[in-house]
Amino acid sequence: MSPRPTTGHVRRPAILTAAAAVIAERGVIGTRIADVAERAGTSAPGVLYWFATKDELLTEALAFSDDRFYAELSEQLAKLGSARERLERLVEVWPSEGDSETVLWMELWVRALRDPAVNATRAQFDARWRAAIADVVREGQMAGEFGEEDPEAFALTLGALMDGFAIQLALRDPAVTPELVKGHCMALVEERLGLEGVTDGG
Amino acid sequence: MTDRSARERILDAAVLRIASDGIDAVRIARIAMDARVSTALVHYHFATREALLAEALEHSYESAGDVPDLGGDPVTRLKAMIDQCLPLPGELERDWVLWVELWLRAVRHPELRPTAAKLYARMKAWFKTAIEAGEFGVTDAGAIADRTLALIDGLGLRALLGDPEMPLERARAEVWHALAGDLGLRDGAASGYVH
Repeated sequence: MSPRPTTGHVRRPAILTAAAAVIAERGVIGTRIADVAERAGTSAPGVLYWFATKDELLTEALAFSDDRFYAELSEQLAKLGSARERLERLVEVWPSEGDSETVLWMELWVRALRDPAVNATRAQFDARWRAAIADVVREGQMAGEFGEEDPEAFALTLGALMDGFAIQLALRDPAVTPELVKGHCMALVEERLGLEGVTDGG
Repeated sequence: MTDRSARERILDAAVLRIASDGIDAVRIARIAMDARVSTALVHYHFATREALLAEALEHSYESAGDVPDLGGDPVTRLKAMIDQCLPLPGELERDWVLWVELWLRAVRHPELRPTAAKLYARMKAWFKTAIEAGEFGVTDAGAIADRTLALIDGLGLRALLGDPEMPLERARAEVWHALAGDLGLRDGAASGYVH
């Protein structure tokens, strides 16, 4: 067994953070492994030791930021008293992730169009997000806050609506603002989950 | 052959290549071959690869933006419009690939954003007009149009990617279900789609 100390636990996150930034700037095709290595303060072989391809860098970088996203999200959600507030929080955090995050998702979609393995990974990310929405819906139903509605079907619709608006936000469509998006999403919540139109802000 | 027709052939060839190969993998030599012109002529018409690809996307969206008047009663017409906006097999599916490529491109290249914004504005106006013409008694036709298009993009993308959770039929039913709700229609009776 090698007595050498390992730096993997430091290197890997640094590479993934660097990869997310470089790919957001230049796209998967325009990204060179050497650029990621430079940004992460390592060498190209140092990157290739962990990641064989650029598609792998993209999906792993997204998985890495996704893990962080859900960790922060569950912390935030735990502080909120009602399921409705939790759903509102979900809606708020999604498009406000900002350009560089949305552009990575778009990279993933474009790669997924032509690569079944990337598409399978995309489906997993999607399922995770839908599960997060459906969980809050179920909590709300158990607490008597929400009416009868299939939580999975609702999550699919809300998730799709949010993606559709995230695209328009990322394109900086002058007609679309985060407030407007939130309004549309919460309108869907209230229609489908049988809530009263009483809101505590927004 | 006139210059104009060569130029259009190049743009048409570029559009088809972007749809089949992806914008990043497109090669100028290949487009020239498809358009049956020399690469020199491609370079004569388009100074850079970026310029050609940007114009090709715009070219494809100019025709995509020619919104047809689909006729029929308001409900039939709105349903036909939804179909026009979803990745139905064939031409619409190919257009959708371009659509997804445009999103990514326009986010990365701000000079393409006006093209994207123009297209969205046109599609929203198309839906808004049809909703108003239908006299459903709604006051916020614009907001309903916005939401319908966002839903079409989000659901259509999944259908395009072959998501088993979102076959095209379901995407279509979901969009109509949401729109019918916004318009105050009884979904089941009016929709004609299985939901």
